[in-house]
Amino acid sequence: MAVVRRNISTNPGVRDQYIEGVKLLKNEASGRATDEFGIPGAARSVSTYDLFVVWHVTAMMIETPPRNPAQRNSAYRGPIFAPWHRVMLMVFEQNLQRVLNDANFGLPYWDWAEDGDLPPQEQSAAAIWGADCMGGEGNPVATGPFAFRASDPSAFRVRISTNISGELRSVNRGLRRAFGVSADALPRTAHVTNALELPAYDSPDWDADANSFRNRIEGWMNDDGVSATSMHNLVHVWIGGEMLLGSSPNDPVFFLNHCNIDRLWESWMSRNGRVYVPDMEAGADLKGHRIDDPISSPLGRSATPRETLDVSEIYEYDALI
Amino acid sequence: METKKLTTGAAPRKLSDYLTRARDKAPAHDGHGAGGAQSVRKDSYRGHEIEIVTTYNILVDGRKIRAPLGVDASGQVHCHSLPNYQTASAVDMVRALIDGFPEEFERKPARTKSRPAASRKRRPAPARKSRPAAKKGARHEH
Repeated sequence: MAVVRRNISTNPGVRDQYIEGVKLLKNEASGRATDEFGIPGAARSVSTYDLFVVWHVTAMMIETPPRNPAQRNSAYRGPIFAPWHRVMLMVFEQNLQRVLNDANFGLPYWDWAEDGDLPPQEQSAAAIWGADCMGGEGNPVATGPFAFRASDPSAFRVRISTNISGELRSVNRGLRRAFGVSADALPRTAHVTNALELPAYDSPDWDADANSFRNRIEGWMNDDGVSATSMHNLVHVWIGGEMLLGSSPNDPVFFLNHCNIDRLWESWMSRNGRVYVPDMEAGADLKGHRIDDPISSPLGRSATPRETLDVSEIYEYDALI
Repeated sequence: METKKLTTGAAPRKLSDYLTRARDKAPAHDGHGAGGAQSVRKDSYRGHEIEIVTTYNILVDGRKIRAPLGVDASGQVHCHSLPNYQTASAVDMVRALIDGFPEEFERKPARTKSRPAASRKRRPAPARKSRPAAKKGARHEH
Protein backbone atom coordinates (compact mmCIF):
# COMPACT_ATOMS: atom_id res chain seq x y z
CA MET A 1 0.00 0.00 0.00
CA ALA A 2 1.27 3.46 -0.86
CA VAL A 3 2.56 5.62 1.98
CA VAL A 4 1.48 9.24 2.29
CA ARG A 5 4.01 12.06 2.19
CA ARG A 6 2.97 15.00 4.36
CA ASN A 7 3.95 18.60 5.13
CA ILE A 8 6.62 18.59 7.85
CA SER A 9 5.51 21.95 9.21
CA THR A 10 2.00 20.78 10.05
CA ASN A 11 2.62 17.15 11.05
CA PRO A 12 4.66 16.95 14.26
CA GLY A 13 4.51 13.17 14.39
CA VAL A 14 6.05 12.81 10.94
CA ARG A 15 8.54 15.56 11.77
CA ASP A 16 9.74 13.73 14.88
CA GLN A 17 10.00 10.43 13.01
CA TYR A 18 12.02 12.08 10.25
CA ILE A 19 14.49 13.53 12.75
CA GLU A 20 14.80 10.19 14.51
CA GLY A 21 15.27 8.33 11.22
CA VAL A 22 17.99 10.70 10.02
CA LYS A 23 19.88 10.24 13.29
CA LEU A 24 19.57 6.48 13.07
CA LEU A 25 20.89 6.42 9.48
CA LYS A 26 23.69 8.79 10.47
CA ASN A 27 24.77 6.43 13.24
CA GLU A 28 24.41 3.24 11.20
CA ALA A 29 27.66 1.92 9.70
CA SER A 30 27.24 1.05 6.03
CA GLY A 31 30.08 -1.46 6.14
CA ARG A 32 32.15 0.69 3.80
CA ALA A 33 35.09 2.96 4.50
CA THR A 34 36.07 6.29 2.95
CA ASP A 35 39.03 4.84 1.03
CA GLU A 36 36.63 2.62 -0.94
CA PHE A 37 35.16 5.78 -2.44
CA GLY A 38 38.56 7.29 -3.21
CA ILE A 39 38.40 9.76 -0.33
CA PRO A 40 41.96 10.67 0.69
CA GLY A 41 43.27 10.39 4.24
CA ALA A 42 42.89 7.71 6.89
CA ALA A 43 40.11 5.23 6.14
CA ARG A 44 37.00 5.93 8.21
CA SER A 45 33.69 4.17 8.45
CA VAL A 46 30.94 5.63 6.24
CA SER A 47 27.43 5.80 7.64
CA THR A 48 24.37 4.80 5.63
CA TYR A 49 23.26 8.44 5.65
CA ASP A 50 26.58 9.54 4.19
CA LEU A 51 26.20 7.08 1.32
CA PHE A 52 23.56 9.50 0.04
CA VAL A 53 26.10 12.33 0.18
CA VAL A 54 28.55 10.25 -1.84
CA TRP A 55 25.80 9.25 -4.30
CA HIS A 56 24.80 12.87 -4.91
CA VAL A 57 28.36 14.06 -5.48
CA THR A 58 29.13 11.11 -7.75
CA ALA A 59 25.99 11.60 -9.85
CA MET A 60 26.83 15.25 -10.42
CA MET A 61 30.29 14.35 -11.64
CA ILE A 62 29.02 11.94 -14.29
CA GLU A 63 28.64 14.14 -17.35
CA THR A 64 25.88 12.93 -19.67
CA PRO A 65 27.36 12.50 -22.17
CA PRO A 66 31.01 13.30 -21.35
CA ARG A 67 32.09 16.87 -22.16
CA ASN A 68 28.64 17.99 -23.30
CA PRO A 69 28.63 21.78 -23.71
CA ALA A 70 25.41 22.21 -21.68
CA GLN A 71 27.18 20.61 -18.69
CA ARG A 72 24.31 18.20 -18.19
CA ASN A 73 25.10 15.47 -15.69
CA SER A 74 23.34 12.35 -14.49
CA ALA A 75 21.27 14.27 -11.91
CA TYR A 76 21.13 17.96 -12.89
CA ARG A 77 20.96 20.55 -15.65
CA GLY A 78 18.77 18.44 -17.91
CA PRO A 79 15.53 16.41 -18.13
CA ILE A 80 16.82 13.73 -15.76
CA PHE A 81 16.62 16.19 -12.84
CA ALA A 82 13.15 15.12 -11.67
CA PRO A 83 13.43 11.32 -12.25
CA TRP A 84 16.90 11.00 -10.69
CA HIS A 85 15.83 12.80 -7.55
CA ARG A 86 12.60 10.80 -7.38
CA VAL A 87 14.69 7.62 -7.27
CA MET A 88 17.06 9.06 -4.68
CA LEU A 89 14.17 10.07 -2.42
CA MET A 90 12.49 6.68 -2.75
CA VAL A 91 15.71 4.87 -1.79
CA PHE A 92 16.16 7.25 1.16
CA GLU A 93 12.54 6.76 2.23
CA GLN A 94 12.97 2.98 2.14
CA ASN A 95 15.96 3.27 4.45
CA LEU A 96 14.06 5.54 6.84
CA GLN A 97 11.23 2.99 6.94
CA ARG A 98 13.75 0.25 7.70
CA VAL A 99 15.51 1.97 10.60
CA LEU A 100 12.23 3.32 12.01
CA ASN A 101 10.68 -0.11 11.66
CA ASP A 102 7.65 1.59 10.16
CA ALA A 103 6.64 0.56 6.64
CA ASN A 104 3.99 3.29 6.65
CA PHE A 105 6.41 6.16 7.10
CA GLY A 106 6.32 8.69 4.27
CA LEU A 107 9.11 11.17 3.66
CA PRO A 108 7.85 14.67 4.58
CA TYR A 109 8.13 17.72 2.35
CA TRP A 110 8.82 21.36 3.12
CA ASP A 111 6.39 23.67 1.35
CA TRP A 112 8.95 26.48 1.14
CA ALA A 113 6.66 28.71 -0.90
CA GLU A 114 4.50 29.17 2.20
CA ASP A 115 7.53 30.60 3.98
CA GLY A 116 8.55 32.50 0.84
CA ASP A 117 5.25 34.39 1.03
CA LEU A 118 6.37 35.85 4.36
CA PRO A 119 8.33 39.12 4.39
CA PRO A 120 12.02 38.29 3.81
CA GLN A 121 13.04 39.34 7.30
CA GLU A 122 10.56 36.82 8.81
CA GLN A 123 11.52 33.80 6.70
CA SER A 124 14.37 32.65 8.92
CA ALA A 125 11.91 32.50 11.85
CA ALA A 126 9.55 30.06 10.10
CA ALA A 127 8.50 26.91 11.94
CA ILE A 128 10.87 24.67 10.00
CA TRP A 129 13.87 26.38 11.62
CA GLY A 130 12.56 25.88 15.14
CA ALA A 131 14.51 23.92 17.73
CA ASP A 132 11.90 21.16 17.51
CA CYS A 133 12.28 20.86 13.74
CA MET A 134 15.42 21.43 11.63
CA GLY A 135 17.10 23.94 13.97
CA GLY A 136 18.50 27.31 12.95
CA GLU A 137 21.50 28.74 11.16
CA GLY A 138 25.13 29.08 12.20
CA ASN A 139 28.65 27.84 11.66
CA PRO A 140 28.12 25.42 13.17
CA VAL A 141 24.35 25.12 13.62
CA ALA A 142 23.84 25.42 17.36
CA THR A 143 20.12 24.75 17.86
CA GLY A 144 17.78 21.90 17.10
CA PRO A 145 18.30 18.17 16.62
CA PHE A 146 21.32 18.56 14.33
CA ALA A 147 23.22 21.05 16.50
CA PHE A 148 26.96 20.54 16.84
CA ARG A 149 28.41 19.75 20.23
CA ALA A 150 32.18 19.35 20.01
CA SER A 151 32.45 17.19 23.12
CA ASP A 152 29.59 14.88 22.16
CA PRO A 153 30.62 12.22 19.64
CA SER A 154 26.98 11.25 19.11
CA ALA A 155 25.98 14.77 18.01
CA PHE A 156 25.28 15.35 14.33
CA ARG A 157 28.51 15.85 12.38
CA VAL A 158 29.43 16.38 8.76
CA ARG A 159 31.96 13.66 7.90
CA ILE A 160 32.14 13.76 4.10
CA SER A 161 32.15 16.97 2.10
CA THR A 162 33.62 18.28 -1.15
CA ASN A 163 36.56 20.55 -1.81
CA ILE A 164 36.75 23.41 -4.29
CA SER A 165 37.48 20.95 -7.10
CA GLY A 166 34.28 19.08 -6.31
CA GLU A 167 36.18 16.07 -4.99
CA LEU A 168 35.08 14.12 -1.93
CA ARG A 169 37.04 14.70 1.26
CA SER A 170 36.83 13.68 4.92
CA VAL A 171 35.88 16.35 7.45
CA ASN A 172 34.74 16.38 11.06
CA ARG A 173 32.68 19.43 11.87
CA GLY A 174 29.20 20.72 12.50
CA LEU A 175 26.48 21.52 10.00
CA ARG A 176 26.60 25.00 8.43
CA ARG A 177 23.75 27.28 7.39
CA ALA A 178 23.65 31.02 6.64
CA PHE A 179 20.09 32.13 5.86
CA GLY A 180 19.57 34.89 3.34
CA VAL A 181 23.24 35.72 2.82
CA SER A 182 23.54 34.65 -0.82
CA ALA A 183 19.90 35.30 -1.75
CA ASP A 184 17.31 37.66 -0.32
CA ALA A 185 14.25 35.46 -0.08
CA LEU A 186 12.74 32.05 -0.74
CA PRO A 187 10.55 31.33 -3.79
CA ARG A 188 6.90 32.33 -3.43
CA THR A 189 3.58 30.67 -4.22
CA ALA A 190 3.29 32.77 -7.36
CA HIS A 191 6.52 31.21 -8.70
CA VAL A 192 5.09 27.74 -8.12
CA THR A 193 1.81 28.65 -9.81
CA ASN A 194 3.58 30.10 -12.83
CA ALA A 195 5.81 27.03 -13.20
CA LEU A 196 2.81 24.70 -13.13
CA GLU A 197 1.28 26.67 -16.03
CA LEU A 198 4.09 25.62 -18.36
CA PRO A 199 2.81 22.97 -20.76
CA ALA A 200 6.11 21.26 -21.63
CA TYR A 201 8.02 19.10 -19.16
CA ASP A 202 11.19 19.99 -21.01
CA SER A 203 12.16 21.34 -24.40
CA PRO A 204 15.15 21.94 -26.69
CA ASP A 205 17.91 22.66 -26.04
CA TRP A 206 17.21 20.56 -22.90
CA ASP A 207 19.56 22.71 -20.85
CA ALA A 208 19.66 25.56 -18.34
CA ASP A 209 18.17 27.89 -20.97
CA ALA A 210 15.07 25.85 -21.78
CA ASN A 211 11.79 27.58 -20.96
CA SER A 212 10.24 24.41 -19.59
CA PHE A 213 8.69 23.11 -16.38
CA ARG A 214 11.81 21.10 -15.53
CA ASN A 215 14.15 24.01 -16.00
CA ARG A 216 11.87 26.37 -14.09
CA ILE A 217 11.57 24.13 -11.02
CA GLU A 218 15.26 23.23 -11.13
CA GLY A 219 15.77 26.95 -10.91
CA TRP A 220 17.92 28.20 -13.76
CA MET A 221 15.31 30.61 -15.12
CA ASN A 222 12.83 33.03 -13.59
CA ASP A 223 9.24 33.82 -14.56
CA ASP A 224 10.41 36.34 -17.16
CA GLY A 225 12.33 33.67 -19.05
CA VAL A 226 15.76 35.01 -18.19
CA SER A 227 18.64 33.32 -16.42
CA ALA A 228 18.31 33.61 -12.65
CA THR A 229 18.56 31.58 -9.47
CA SER A 230 15.05 30.44 -8.62
CA MET A 231 12.86 27.65 -7.18
CA HIS A 232 14.97 24.61 -6.18
CA ASN A 233 18.29 26.37 -6.70
CA LEU A 234 17.12 29.41 -4.77
CA VAL A 235 16.18 27.26 -1.78
CA HIS A 236 19.71 25.82 -1.72
CA VAL A 237 21.31 29.24 -2.08
CA TRP A 238 19.05 30.97 0.48
CA ILE A 239 19.84 28.34 3.14
CA GLY A 240 23.55 28.58 2.32
CA GLY A 241 26.37 26.77 4.09
CA GLU A 242 26.19 23.04 3.42
CA MET A 243 23.39 23.49 0.90
CA LEU A 244 25.69 25.41 -1.46
CA LEU A 245 27.96 22.44 -2.07
CA GLY A 246 27.76 19.25 -4.10
CA SER A 247 27.59 17.48 -0.74
CA SER A 248 24.34 19.30 0.12
CA PRO A 249 22.53 16.10 1.30
CA ASN A 250 24.62 16.60 4.45
CA ASP A 251 21.83 18.95 5.52
CA PRO A 252 18.66 16.94 6.25
CA VAL A 253 16.71 19.87 4.78
CA PHE A 254 18.01 18.74 1.36
CA PHE A 255 15.52 15.86 1.30
CA LEU A 256 12.62 18.08 2.41
CA ASN A 257 13.38 20.54 -0.40
CA HIS A 258 13.56 17.81 -3.02
CA CYS A 259 10.44 16.11 -1.70
CA ASN A 260 8.60 19.37 -2.32
CA ILE A 261 10.09 19.58 -5.83
CA ASP A 262 8.89 16.01 -6.41
CA ARG A 263 5.43 17.08 -5.20
CA LEU A 264 5.47 19.89 -7.77
CA TRP A 265 6.37 17.38 -10.48
CA GLU A 266 3.53 15.12 -9.38
CA SER A 267 1.22 18.16 -9.42
CA TRP A 268 2.34 18.99 -12.96
CA MET A 269 1.69 15.38 -14.08
CA SER A 270 -1.76 15.43 -12.51
CA ARG A 271 -2.57 18.25 -14.93
CA ASN A 272 -0.64 17.19 -18.00
CA GLY A 273 -0.56 13.40 -17.84
CA ARG A 274 2.32 11.05 -17.09
CA VAL A 275 4.45 12.23 -19.97
CA TYR A 276 8.18 12.74 -20.28
CA VAL A 277 10.55 13.99 -22.92
CA PRO A 278 12.94 13.43 -24.64
CA ASP A 279 12.02 10.04 -26.06
CA MET A 280 14.50 7.54 -27.51
CA GLU A 281 14.43 9.25 -30.91
CA ALA A 282 16.62 11.95 -29.39
CA GLY A 283 20.27 11.81 -30.30
CA ALA A 284 23.22 10.48 -28.34
CA ASP A 285 23.96 13.98 -27.09
CA LEU A 286 21.02 13.41 -24.71
CA LYS A 287 22.09 9.97 -23.56
CA GLY A 288 21.34 9.63 -19.88
CA HIS A 289 18.27 11.90 -20.14
CA ARG A 290 16.01 9.98 -22.56
CA ILE A 291 12.90 8.16 -21.37
CA ASP A 292 14.36 4.65 -21.45
CA ASP A 293 17.94 5.46 -20.48
CA PRO A 294 19.07 3.92 -17.16
CA ILE A 295 19.07 6.30 -14.21
CA SER A 296 22.36 6.42 -12.27
CA SER A 297 21.16 4.49 -9.24
CA PRO A 298 21.49 1.20 -7.34
CA LEU A 299 18.21 0.01 -8.86
CA GLY A 300 19.86 -1.27 -12.02
CA ARG A 301 19.46 -0.57 -15.71
CA SER A 302 15.71 -1.14 -15.70
CA ALA A 303 15.16 1.95 -13.55
CA THR A 304 14.49 4.58 -16.18
CA PRO A 305 12.59 7.87 -16.32
CA ARG A 306 9.62 5.95 -17.74
CA GLU A 307 9.61 3.75 -14.61
CA THR A 308 9.41 6.79 -12.35
CA LEU A 309 6.33 8.34 -13.95
CA ASP A 310 3.87 6.19 -12.02
CA VAL A 311 4.83 5.57 -8.41
CA SER A 312 1.28 5.20 -7.11
CA GLU A 313 2.13 1.77 -5.67
CA ILE A 314 4.82 3.33 -3.52
CA TYR A 315 3.71 6.76 -2.29
CA GLU A 316 1.32 9.64 -2.73
CA TYR A 317 1.10 13.19 -1.42
CA ASP A 318 -1.45 14.45 1.06
CA ALA A 319 -1.98 17.52 -1.12
CA LEU A 320 -1.08 18.43 -4.66
CA ILE A 321 -1.18 21.95 -6.05
CA MET B 1 7.78 1.27 -10.55
CA GLU B 2 7.48 -1.99 -8.65
CA THR B 3 7.85 -1.96 -4.89
CA LYS B 4 9.95 -5.14 -4.86
CA LYS B 5 12.60 -3.70 -7.17
CA LEU B 6 12.82 -0.60 -5.02
CA THR B 7 13.03 -2.50 -1.74
CA THR B 8 15.82 -4.73 -3.03
CA GLY B 9 17.83 -1.91 -4.59
CA ALA B 10 17.52 0.35 -1.54
CA ALA B 11 19.58 -1.89 0.74
CA PRO B 12 22.73 -0.05 1.94
CA ARG B 13 24.88 -2.87 0.54
CA LYS B 14 23.36 -2.38 -2.93
CA LEU B 15 23.87 1.38 -2.75
CA SER B 16 27.48 1.14 -1.63
CA ASP B 17 28.28 -1.51 -4.26
CA TYR B 18 26.77 0.75 -6.90
CA LEU B 19 28.77 3.75 -5.67
CA THR B 20 32.11 1.99 -5.80
CA ARG B 21 31.37 1.06 -9.43
CA ALA B 22 29.99 4.49 -10.37
CA ARG B 23 33.05 6.25 -9.03
CA ASP B 24 35.02 5.05 -12.02
CA LYS B 25 32.62 6.89 -14.33
CA ALA B 26 32.91 10.20 -12.49
CA PRO B 27 35.76 12.11 -14.08
CA ALA B 28 35.92 14.72 -11.32
CA HIS B 29 37.24 12.08 -8.98
CA ASP B 30 40.05 11.57 -11.45
CA GLY B 31 41.27 15.13 -11.46
CA HIS B 32 38.64 16.64 -13.72
CA GLY B 33 38.58 19.61 -11.39
CA ALA B 34 42.31 20.13 -11.42
CA GLY B 35 42.06 23.39 -13.28
CA GLY B 36 41.91 21.72 -16.66
CA ALA B 37 38.18 21.80 -17.34
CA GLN B 38 37.43 23.04 -20.82
CA SER B 39 34.19 24.36 -22.27
CA VAL B 40 33.63 24.05 -25.98
CA ARG B 41 30.82 26.10 -27.50
CA LYS B 42 29.79 25.57 -31.11
CA ASP B 43 27.41 27.47 -33.33
CA SER B 44 26.67 28.13 -36.98
CA TYR B 45 26.22 31.63 -38.36
CA ARG B 46 25.72 32.60 -42.03
CA GLY B 47 27.37 29.44 -43.17
CA HIS B 48 30.31 29.78 -40.78
CA GLU B 49 31.09 27.24 -38.07
CA ILE B 50 32.00 28.86 -34.77
CA GLU B 51 33.92 27.01 -32.06
CA ILE B 52 34.95 28.69 -28.83
CA VAL B 53 37.16 26.79 -26.38
CA THR B 54 37.31 28.30 -22.89
CA THR B 55 39.74 27.29 -20.15
CA TYR B 56 39.83 29.24 -16.92
CA ASN B 57 43.12 29.96 -15.19
CA ILE B 58 42.16 31.50 -11.84
CA LEU B 59 44.46 32.98 -9.22
CA VAL B 60 43.33 34.18 -5.79
CA ASP B 61 45.97 35.87 -3.65
CA GLY B 62 48.45 34.67 -6.26
CA ARG B 63 47.51 31.03 -5.76
CA LYS B 64 46.01 28.89 -8.51
CA ILE B 65 42.44 27.77 -7.79
CA ARG B 66 41.53 24.24 -8.83
CA ALA B 67 37.84 24.91 -9.49
CA PRO B 68 36.11 23.31 -12.49
CA LEU B 69 34.45 26.35 -14.03
CA GLY B 70 32.64 26.07 -17.32
CA VAL B 71 30.60 28.34 -19.55
CA ASP B 72 27.44 27.25 -21.35
CA ALA B 73 26.07 28.17 -24.74
CA SER B 74 24.46 31.37 -23.48
CA GLY B 75 27.62 32.51 -21.72
CA GLN B 76 26.53 31.67 -18.17
CA VAL B 77 29.33 30.51 -15.89
CA HIS B 78 28.82 27.32 -13.88
CA CYS B 79 30.98 25.34 -11.46
CA HIS B 80 30.59 21.71 -10.33
CA SER B 81 31.70 22.71 -6.85
CA LEU B 82 28.72 25.07 -6.41
CA PRO B 83 26.09 23.21 -8.39
CA ASN B 84 23.15 25.55 -7.71
CA TYR B 85 24.86 28.69 -8.94
CA GLN B 86 25.05 30.18 -12.39
CA THR B 87 26.60 33.62 -12.81
CA ALA B 88 27.08 36.09 -15.63
CA SER B 89 30.77 36.47 -14.86
CA ALA B 90 33.60 34.24 -13.69
CA VAL B 91 34.49 36.90 -11.11
CA ASP B 92 31.10 36.47 -9.44
CA MET B 93 31.60 32.70 -9.43
CA VAL B 94 35.02 33.04 -7.77
CA ARG B 95 33.46 35.32 -5.13
CA ALA B 96 30.89 32.60 -4.49
CA LEU B 97 33.67 30.01 -4.21
CA ILE B 98 35.42 32.14 -1.59
CA ASP B 99 32.19 32.20 0.42
CA GLY B 100 31.42 28.53 -0.14
CA PHE B 101 34.89 27.18 0.71
CA PRO B 102 36.28 29.56 3.35
CA GLU B 103 38.92 27.08 4.56
CA GLU B 104 40.52 26.91 1.14
CA PHE B 105 41.11 30.66 1.12
CA GLU B 106 42.42 31.11 4.64
CA ARG B 107 45.46 33.38 4.66
CA LYS B 108 48.39 33.26 7.02
CA PRO B 109 47.97 35.79 9.86
CA ALA B 110 50.94 37.89 8.80
CA ARG B 111 49.35 38.53 5.43
CA THR B 112 45.82 39.14 6.69
CA LYS B 113 44.36 42.62 6.29
CA SER B 114 41.37 43.83 8.24
CA ARG B 115 38.22 43.55 6.16
CA PRO B 116 34.58 42.57 6.62
CA ALA B 117 33.99 38.84 6.79
CA ALA B 118 33.39 37.64 3.24
CA SER B 119 30.82 35.11 4.34
CA ARG B 120 28.44 37.84 5.51
CA LYS B 121 28.89 40.12 2.54
CA ARG B 122 26.13 39.86 -0.01
CA ARG B 123 27.23 38.94 -3.47
CA PRO B 124 25.90 40.77 -6.48
CA ALA B 125 22.89 39.05 -7.96
CA PRO B 126 23.62 36.97 -11.05
CA ALA B 127 23.28 39.17 -14.11
CA ARG B 128 20.42 38.63 -16.48
CA LYS B 129 21.37 37.12 -19.74
CA SER B 130 20.98 39.10 -22.90
CA ARG B 131 18.86 36.58 -24.81
CA PRO B 132 15.43 36.10 -23.20
CA ALA B 133 13.93 32.74 -23.95
CA ALA B 134 10.60 32.55 -25.70
CA LYS B 135 7.72 32.55 -23.31
CA LYS B 136 4.90 30.13 -23.91
CA GLY B 137 1.93 31.59 -22.17
CA ALA B 138 3.50 31.59 -18.75
CA ARG B 139 1.74 33.83 -16.30
CA HIS B 140 3.90 36.52 -14.80
CA GLU B 141 3.96 37.66 -11.27
CA HIS B 142 3.63 41.40 -10.74
